[in-house]
Amino acid sequence: METTVKIPKPYLFIINQLFELEQKVGKLQEQNSIQRNIDKMKNYFETEALSEGQGLTYHNPIGESYDVTRTDCEATISGKSHENLEIIEVLKPIIYVKYGNTKMIVQKAITIVQSKN
Amino acid sequence: MEKMINYGIDLGTTNSAIAKFVRGEVEVFKNPLETGKETLPSVVYYKKDKIIVGSRARTYLERDAKNVFGTFKRKMGSTESFKVKNIDQSKTPIELSAEIIKELKGFVHTGEQVDAAVITIPASFDVIQSNATKEAGYLAGFKQVILLQEPIAASLAYANKHKERDLMNGQWLVYDLGGGTFDVALIKIKDGEMKVIDHEGDNFLGGADFDNLMVEKMIIPFLNKNFKFNNLEDELKSAIGKYNALYYKLIWLAEQAKISLSNRTSAELELTGISDDDNEIIDTSFEISRSEFESLAKEGIDKTIEMIKKILVRNSLKPSDIQFTLLVGGSTYIPYVRKRVEEILQIPINCDIDPITAIAIGAAYFAGTKEKNFEQDKSDKITSKIKVRLSYPKTSREEEEILAGRIDGNIDGLFYQITREDKGYDSGRKKLTSRISEDLPLLKDSYNFFRFTILDGHNNVVETDTELIGIAQGKFNVAGQPLPNDICLEIDIIPDLDISVGETKNCMYFQKNTILPQKRTITQTLNKTILKGSADKIIINVLEGSQYNLPEANQSIGYIEFTGEKFSRDILRGTEIEITLEMSESRDLKAIVYIPMSDQQFTKVFNPSQRHLPVSKLRDEVETLNEKLETELSEAVEREDYETAETLNEIKKKVNFLISNTTKLTDNDVTDKKYQYEDIKRKIAQEIDNATRDKRITTLKNSYFENKEWCKKIVEDNGNDHDNKLFYEIAGREQVFLNSITPIKIMEAIDELLSLGSDILWRTPAFLEGRFSRLLEKPQLFNDLEQAKSLIESGKLAITNKNYDRLREVNMGLISLLPKNAQVEARTGKIGF
Repeated sequence: METTVKIPKPYLFIINQLFELEQKVGKLQEQNSIQRNIDKMKNYFETEALSEGQGLTYHNPIGESYDVTRTDCEATISGKSHENLEIIEVLKPIIYVKYGNTKMIVQKAITIVQSKN
Repeated sequence: MEKMINYGIDLGTTNSAIAKFVRGEVEVFKNPLETGKETLPSVVYYKKDKIIVGSRARTYLERDAKNVFGTFKRKMGSTESFKVKNIDQSKTPIELSAEIIKELKGFVHTGEQVDAAVITIPASFDVIQSNATKEAGYLAGFKQVILLQEPIAASLAYANKHKERDLMNGQWLVYDLGGGTFDVALIKIKDGEMKVIDHEGDNFLGGADFDNLMVEKMIIPFLNKNFKFNNLEDELKSAIGKYNALYYKLIWLAEQAKISLSNRTSAELELTGISDDDNEIIDTSFEISRSEFESLAKEGIDKTIEMIKKILVRNSLKPSDIQFTLLVGGSTYIPYVRKRVEEILQIPINCDIDPITAIAIGAAYFAGTKEKNFEQDKSDKITSKIKVRLSYPKTSREEEEILAGRIDGNIDGLFYQITREDKGYDSGRKKLTSRISEDLPLLKDSYNFFRFTILDGHNNVVETDTELIGIAQGKFNVAGQPLPNDICLEIDIIPDLDISVGETKNCMYFQKNTILPQKRTITQTLNKTILKGSADKIIINVLEGSQYNLPEANQSIGYIEFTGEKFSRDILRGTEIEITLEMSESRDLKAIVYIPMSDQQFTKVFNPSQRHLPVSKLRDEVETLNEKLETELSEAVEREDYETAETLNEIKKKVNFLISNTTKLTDNDVTDKKYQYEDIKRKIAQEIDNATRDKRITTLKNSYFENKEWCKKIVEDNGNDHDNKLFYEIAGREQVFLNSITPIKIMEAIDELLSLGSDILWRTPAFLEGRFSRLLEKPQLFNDLEQAKSLIESGKLAITNKNYDRLREVNMGLISLLPKNAQVEARTGKIGF
């Protein structure tokens, strides 16, 4: 069964910004509650932005293994070796649209990968 | 079976695409593994056990050069072949091109077999190169292949887009600047017959060069100037350099900036997450203007213009002899390309066709006119007697699971491929053996569906009886069954509808059949002010049961009241509160209420086995139910609906029984009677709802149509395009909510109409003036006469000056000075949000 959902482009833009914001907040040393607002926005996309029963979520694949079977990431290999690759930088996250308990990719991650060897 | 070829293929040097002519229109097929993209990178990767084609192969292009091959189109027709280390074989450009075509066949989502196609070739291809392309088509399983020159294909795409234009005679240029190659051709049409007269090209010039230049000439000097680097350029560009990963990030950033500069005059590159040689963290941004970018791209673009000039000179043509320059290829999106080509050549440019897919589209139009001339198979589908038995766990907590399979039948020359339905995994095409095993990566906390497909040597699907492979990851275990009912929170209905005053509805948190554990936060807006220390309250009532039921018909599984005594300050109406519900696998329910205004968080864990049900709450609910029943009963009698009245009278007996029994309960009752009564109460509420639902829906439908007319008039008289769009968006959903089983949906639509109408009115001068003069009718009502007086003066002045923004503020200010009971919009609810 082929399901198509039109995801408004501004949503993807905002989610990508949200992802970047979350990365930056993660690096802050001092106490803050910015994460709460980020969570709130993430939650909004997950539960309310689309019609009932659907939602947008993102996943940061940093540190995960990469191989040629992964079609959820666009990767550029850094370094010489192409064996035993690991995602070392994520420029854009994987964005999924959720329907109940199933997911569909609406944006592949843009990543840089490098051999763990 | 179709008589025409219909399929067109753009077999490009860097990217390829497939399109089909269907009843006068052309559909370009989407790449099933690349959301939103219609192209396939022309790259093939041979692993030991499988073949990967497309962007994943491109990833390895430079790193595994002995097994990955791209730009082989440049070698078409040569005797050169590529030694593939992984499989210890040699592959010709024809074989590699055939792999691309096979992959493109997989784009055709309709499942039909593609047995013939029009394939495009560059204008520069000679007979040998052309025949080699044809052979690649046959090798991919086509029974018929027709070739078409790319500039002609682009011209056909244009001609078919503008059928009304007279293109019987004339000449134009087709300028094709892609990611890595450039071609230009002179096309002549005489009496409707199109021909390529001349062409030029550069196989090593394209948009990627501009990205590289931006990194080299701008970003690297900027980093060198402002931070400490010893040998940045080499460390970036060398595969063993310490900044090699950063190089690819910079290339990506440059490409994004280039895209952005197509619409803006400047673009910002954020340089973050980098440290220099002194370990100083770089967190800065770098602006590049369109003119700076243009000065970088100028040299490359001028090279293309020189080639065109050569064509013009060779053919003794003046720019005025050329009708237009038709732009094709992704890099022609760059405004400077368009501007420069037009300015220098003084020939109008033509950007009417989609530069990315134009060639495939033109090929498909051509294919729609070409008849198949081979014997067709009786059946479109390839059937087989292959038996497939697959074994895999249906649930898992692992990140991957093994799929084992046994295949019986003749499997010679067959392949298999496994893809995950979310498009996040593709095994690649692998040789089919009688026993297979595959590690399937699973998405966390999701149902994972995989499709197992058997393919023949031409990438045609071989029909088997395999079904979707479904594996639930994470949340599922034997005890953790899916939720049997919806879990909802009771919230107030506060639209301006008399019918709904004091009523509540369900706000769905977790849907039936969701797998536990679950957590969800919804932000609600308070509809009343809770003063610090007061007895006013907010109620959190978590309900189990269908979201379409009335809240009172559902079972309360968690109930808390928060009075003003718990708050550290006054919590004002309009404030947002965040309510999180969390349900564990064993159904423990946790409610977290966060109030940003006072920065207070309350957490309460409910254990369903010790359900908290205050007797006072039960009595209140029974009382409310009784009042509701009385109202419904008298209304039914009034409208002479005796059938409903009789049903309600029967229910009345049960309610009386409940009233007398709940009154007898003591507040500290420890028996389970209160639970039994609550159960009866829920059933009665549902019975009342069922008996009166038709009436409620009819009343609401009437109210909907009245409000729709009201709103329509306001939109027509005073609304803008956006209002108009919103109105028709609501009206467009009419069939859905008017036929919905729940009145709530109609109520929500009425609410939307009311708020749209009132938003417009509050922008309308006549309404604002009318509202102002009505507010002046009883000045003695205002709480603060001094302030009211000053506002009234401002209002009068605003009317004189026609300053309606100010008049709106004045009206709002005056309304806020009215006593609470006069503020119609200040309705509050039972729950508090």
